[in-house]
Amino acid sequence: MFFKSDKKSQDQVHGFSHLGENLFFEGEIDCKGEIEIAGKVKGNIKAKKLRILETGSIKGLVQAENVEVLGYMVGNIESVNIHIGNKGVVRGDLRFESNLSILEGADISGHVQKNKKEKTKRSDTDKVKYLEHNKIAS
Amino acid sequence: MPSVILRDTKLQGNIIEKDSITIDGIIVGDIKAEEVIINKNGNITGSLTADNNIEIGGQVTGDLSSDRIHLNSSAKVRGKLSHRNLVVDEGAQLEIASLTRKK
Repeated sequence: MFFKSDKKSQDQVHGFSHLGENLFFEGEIDCKGEIEIAGKVKGNIKAKKLRILETGSIKGLVQAENVEVLGYMVGNIESVNIHIGNKGVVRGDLRFESNLSILEGADISGHVQKNKKEKTKRSDTDKVKYLEHNKIAS
Repeated sequence: MPSVILRDTKLQGNIIEKDSITIDGIIVGDIKAEEVIINKNGNITGSLTADNNIEIGGQVTGDLSSDRIHLNSSAKVRGKLSHRNLVVDEGAQLEIASLTRKK
Protein backbone atom coordinates (compact mmCIF):
# COMPACT_ATOMS: atom_id res chain seq x y z
CA MET A 1 0.00 0.00 0.00
CA PHE A 2 1.36 3.43 0.89
CA PHE A 3 4.03 2.23 3.26
CA LYS A 4 6.51 -0.59 3.34
CA SER A 5 5.07 -2.97 5.89
CA ASP A 6 5.85 -6.23 4.13
CA LYS A 7 9.45 -6.91 4.99
CA LYS A 8 10.04 -10.55 4.32
CA SER A 9 13.80 -10.20 4.81
CA GLN A 10 13.57 -9.97 8.61
CA ASP A 11 12.96 -13.65 9.19
CA GLN A 12 15.23 -13.95 12.18
CA VAL A 13 13.61 -13.34 15.51
CA HIS A 14 15.84 -12.20 18.31
CA GLY A 15 14.96 -13.14 21.85
CA PHE A 16 11.94 -15.10 22.96
CA SER A 17 8.29 -14.67 23.72
CA HIS A 18 7.37 -14.31 27.37
CA LEU A 19 4.00 -14.85 29.01
CA GLY A 20 4.12 -12.95 32.30
CA GLU A 21 3.04 -14.29 35.66
CA ASN A 22 -0.18 -12.26 35.66
CA LEU A 23 -1.28 -13.74 32.37
CA PHE A 24 -3.97 -16.33 31.88
CA PHE A 25 -4.38 -17.90 28.48
CA GLU A 26 -6.76 -20.57 27.29
CA GLY A 27 -6.16 -22.00 23.83
CA GLU A 28 -3.43 -23.20 21.49
CA ILE A 29 0.09 -21.87 21.26
CA ASP A 30 2.23 -22.43 18.18
CA CYS A 31 5.70 -20.97 18.50
CA LYS A 32 8.41 -21.49 15.89
CA GLY A 33 11.06 -20.19 18.25
CA GLU A 34 11.54 -19.90 21.97
CA ILE A 35 8.82 -19.19 24.50
CA GLU A 36 8.89 -18.72 28.27
CA ILE A 37 5.80 -19.11 30.41
CA ALA A 38 5.46 -17.58 33.86
CA GLY A 39 1.67 -17.45 33.83
CA LYS A 40 -1.19 -19.90 33.51
CA VAL A 41 -1.89 -21.69 30.25
CA LYS A 42 -4.70 -24.13 29.57
CA GLY A 43 -4.28 -25.79 26.19
CA ASN A 44 -1.78 -27.42 23.89
CA ILE A 45 1.60 -25.93 23.15
CA LYS A 46 3.87 -26.47 20.18
CA ALA A 47 7.25 -24.80 20.28
CA LYS A 48 10.88 -25.21 19.40
CA LYS A 49 11.99 -24.35 22.89
CA LEU A 50 9.64 -24.08 25.86
CA ARG A 51 10.52 -22.97 29.35
CA ILE A 52 7.96 -23.20 32.14
CA LEU A 53 9.17 -20.87 34.87
CA GLU A 54 8.63 -21.40 38.61
CA THR A 55 5.40 -19.37 38.62
CA GLY A 56 4.27 -21.00 35.38
CA SER A 57 1.47 -23.54 35.20
CA ILE A 58 0.37 -25.51 32.16
CA LYS A 59 -2.50 -27.87 31.56
CA GLY A 60 -2.28 -29.54 28.19
CA LEU A 61 -0.09 -31.41 25.75
CA VAL A 62 3.38 -30.07 25.05
CA GLN A 63 5.24 -30.87 21.83
CA ALA A 64 8.66 -29.30 21.45
CA GLU A 65 12.34 -29.85 20.76
CA ASN A 66 13.50 -28.59 24.12
CA VAL A 67 11.39 -28.43 27.24
CA GLU A 68 12.43 -27.08 30.61
CA VAL A 69 9.98 -27.49 33.47
CA LEU A 70 10.76 -25.34 36.50
CA GLY A 71 7.11 -24.89 37.41
CA TYR A 72 3.88 -26.87 37.28
CA MET A 73 2.84 -29.05 34.40
CA VAL A 74 -0.23 -31.25 34.00
CA GLY A 75 -0.25 -33.22 30.76
CA ASN A 76 2.10 -35.15 28.55
CA ILE A 77 5.39 -33.84 27.21
CA GLU A 78 6.79 -34.98 23.87
CA SER A 79 10.19 -33.56 23.14
CA VAL A 80 13.73 -34.31 22.00
CA ASN A 81 15.20 -33.02 25.24
CA ILE A 82 13.43 -32.66 28.56
CA HIS A 83 14.76 -31.02 31.69
CA ILE A 84 12.90 -30.93 35.00
CA GLY A 85 14.19 -28.47 37.60
CA ASN A 86 14.33 -29.07 41.35
CA LYS A 87 11.00 -27.30 41.89
CA GLY A 88 9.41 -28.79 38.82
CA VAL A 89 6.12 -30.64 39.17
CA VAL A 90 4.87 -32.93 36.40
CA ARG A 91 1.63 -34.87 36.32
CA GLY A 92 1.79 -36.69 33.04
CA ASP A 93 3.99 -38.74 30.74
CA LEU A 94 7.44 -37.76 29.58
CA ARG A 95 8.37 -38.93 26.11
CA PHE A 96 11.81 -37.88 24.97
CA GLU A 97 14.12 -38.77 22.08
CA SER A 98 17.59 -37.81 23.24
CA ASN A 99 18.07 -36.47 26.73
CA LEU A 100 16.15 -36.41 29.96
CA SER A 101 17.49 -34.71 33.04
CA ILE A 102 15.73 -34.43 36.36
CA LEU A 103 17.12 -32.51 39.29
CA GLU A 104 16.84 -33.61 42.89
CA GLY A 105 13.56 -32.41 44.38
CA ALA A 106 11.49 -32.65 41.22
CA ASP A 107 8.01 -34.10 41.68
CA ILE A 108 6.94 -36.38 38.85
CA SER A 109 4.18 -38.88 38.42
CA GLY A 110 3.68 -40.44 35.02
CA HIS A 111 5.32 -42.74 32.54
CA VAL A 112 8.81 -41.99 31.31
CA GLN A 113 9.69 -43.33 27.91
CA LYS A 114 12.48 -42.87 25.41
CA ASN A 115 11.15 -42.75 21.88
CA LYS A 116 13.50 -43.62 19.07
CA LYS A 117 12.24 -41.56 16.20
CA GLU A 118 15.36 -42.00 14.04
CA LYS A 119 15.44 -45.75 14.58
CA THR A 120 14.32 -46.61 11.03
CA LYS A 121 16.79 -44.19 9.47
CA ARG A 122 19.63 -45.44 11.60
CA SER A 123 18.97 -49.13 10.86
CA ASP A 124 18.84 -48.27 7.17
CA THR A 125 22.21 -46.59 7.25
CA ASP A 126 23.57 -49.47 9.32
CA LYS A 127 22.29 -51.90 6.73
CA VAL A 128 23.93 -49.95 3.92
CA LYS A 129 27.20 -49.86 5.82
CA TYR A 130 26.93 -53.62 6.44
CA LEU A 131 26.27 -54.31 2.76
CA GLU A 132 29.12 -52.03 1.68
CA HIS A 133 31.38 -53.77 4.14
CA ASN A 134 30.41 -57.18 2.69
CA LYS A 135 31.11 -55.91 -0.84
CA ILE A 136 34.58 -54.82 0.14
CA ALA A 137 35.19 -58.08 1.97
CA SER A 138 34.18 -60.19 -1.03
CA MET B 1 7.38 -8.68 34.02
CA PRO B 2 5.02 -7.75 31.19
CA SER B 3 4.23 -10.27 28.48
CA VAL B 4 5.83 -10.20 25.05
CA ILE B 5 4.70 -12.26 22.08
CA LEU B 6 7.11 -12.24 19.15
CA ARG B 7 6.26 -12.70 15.51
CA ASP B 8 7.26 -16.38 15.41
CA THR B 9 4.40 -17.16 17.78
CA LYS B 10 0.75 -17.76 17.10
CA LEU B 11 -1.90 -17.93 19.81
CA GLN B 12 -5.43 -19.15 19.36
CA GLY B 13 -7.62 -18.34 22.32
CA ASN B 14 -8.37 -15.66 24.84
CA ILE B 15 -5.70 -13.82 26.81
CA ILE B 16 -6.21 -12.18 30.18
CA GLU B 17 -3.22 -10.23 31.46
CA LYS B 18 -3.23 -8.00 34.56
CA ASP B 19 -0.08 -6.27 33.37
CA SER B 20 1.01 -4.90 30.03
CA ILE B 21 1.22 -7.08 26.91
CA THR B 22 3.21 -6.41 23.75
CA ILE B 23 2.34 -8.38 20.63
CA ASP B 24 4.30 -8.80 17.41
CA GLY B 25 2.77 -12.17 16.51
CA ILE B 26 -0.56 -13.55 15.38
CA ILE B 27 -3.46 -13.76 17.81
CA VAL B 28 -6.88 -15.19 17.08
CA GLY B 29 -8.95 -14.38 20.14
CA ASP B 30 -9.80 -11.64 22.59
CA ILE B 31 -7.27 -9.83 24.72
CA LYS B 32 -7.89 -8.17 28.07
CA ALA B 33 -5.03 -6.35 29.75
CA GLU B 34 -3.98 -3.21 31.56
CA GLU B 35 -2.11 -2.05 28.47
CA VAL B 36 -2.02 -3.57 24.98
CA ILE B 37 0.69 -2.70 22.48
CA ILE B 38 0.48 -4.19 18.99
CA ASN B 39 3.68 -3.82 17.02
CA LYS B 40 4.17 -3.64 13.27
CA ASN B 41 4.09 -7.41 12.62
CA GLY B 42 1.21 -7.97 15.01
CA ASN B 43 -2.01 -9.34 13.58
CA ILE B 44 -5.04 -9.64 15.83
CA THR B 45 -8.42 -11.08 15.04
CA GLY B 46 -10.51 -10.40 18.12
CA SER B 47 -11.44 -7.62 20.48
CA LEU B 48 -8.96 -5.70 22.61
CA THR B 49 -9.93 -4.36 26.02
CA ALA B 50 -7.43 -2.37 28.05
CA ASP B 51 -7.75 -0.41 31.28
CA ASN B 52 -5.28 2.31 30.38
CA ASN B 53 -3.84 2.25 26.94
CA ILE B 54 -4.00 0.59 23.54
CA GLU B 55 -1.31 1.29 20.99
CA ILE B 56 -1.65 -0.19 17.50
CA GLY B 57 1.07 -0.42 14.87
CA GLY B 58 -0.14 -3.60 13.20
CA GLN B 59 -3.35 -5.10 11.93
CA VAL B 60 -6.44 -5.51 14.05
CA THR B 61 -9.84 -6.83 13.08
CA GLY B 62 -12.12 -6.42 16.08
CA ASP B 63 -13.36 -3.93 18.60
CA LEU B 64 -11.09 -1.77 20.73
CA SER B 65 -11.94 -0.39 24.15
CA SER B 66 -9.63 1.62 26.36
CA ASP B 67 -9.13 4.99 28.08
CA ARG B 68 -6.55 5.98 25.53
CA ILE B 69 -6.18 4.58 22.04
CA HIS B 70 -3.24 5.44 19.83
CA LEU B 71 -3.24 4.28 16.20
CA ASN B 72 0.24 4.57 14.69
CA SER B 73 1.00 5.36 11.07
CA SER B 74 1.42 1.65 10.23
CA ALA B 75 -1.90 0.61 11.82
CA LYS B 76 -4.63 -1.15 9.90
CA VAL B 77 -7.76 -1.34 11.99
CA ARG B 78 -11.27 -2.53 11.28
CA GLY B 79 -13.86 -2.42 14.06
CA LYS B 80 -15.56 -0.28 16.69
CA LEU B 81 -13.55 1.94 19.00
CA SER B 82 -14.60 3.07 22.46
CA HIS B 83 -12.27 5.50 24.26
CA ARG B 84 -11.82 8.75 26.16
CA ASN B 85 -8.78 9.83 24.22
CA LEU B 86 -8.04 8.92 20.63
CA VAL B 87 -4.86 9.65 18.68
CA VAL B 88 -4.53 8.71 15.01
CA ASP B 89 -1.24 9.16 13.20
CA GLU B 90 -0.96 10.09 9.55
CA GLY B 91 -0.98 7.00 7.34
CA ALA B 92 -3.18 4.75 9.47
CA GLN B 93 -5.63 2.71 7.41
CA LEU B 94 -8.96 2.56 9.15
CA GLU B 95 -12.43 1.19 8.76
CA ILE B 96 -13.79 2.14 12.14
CA ALA B 97 -16.71 3.47 14.09
CA SER B 98 -15.54 5.53 17.00
CA LEU B 99 -17.23 6.53 20.24
CA THR B 100 -15.79 8.92 22.80
CA ARG B 101 -16.96 8.10 26.32
CA LYS B 102 -17.89 10.98 28.59
CA LYS B 103 -15.45 11.82 31.35
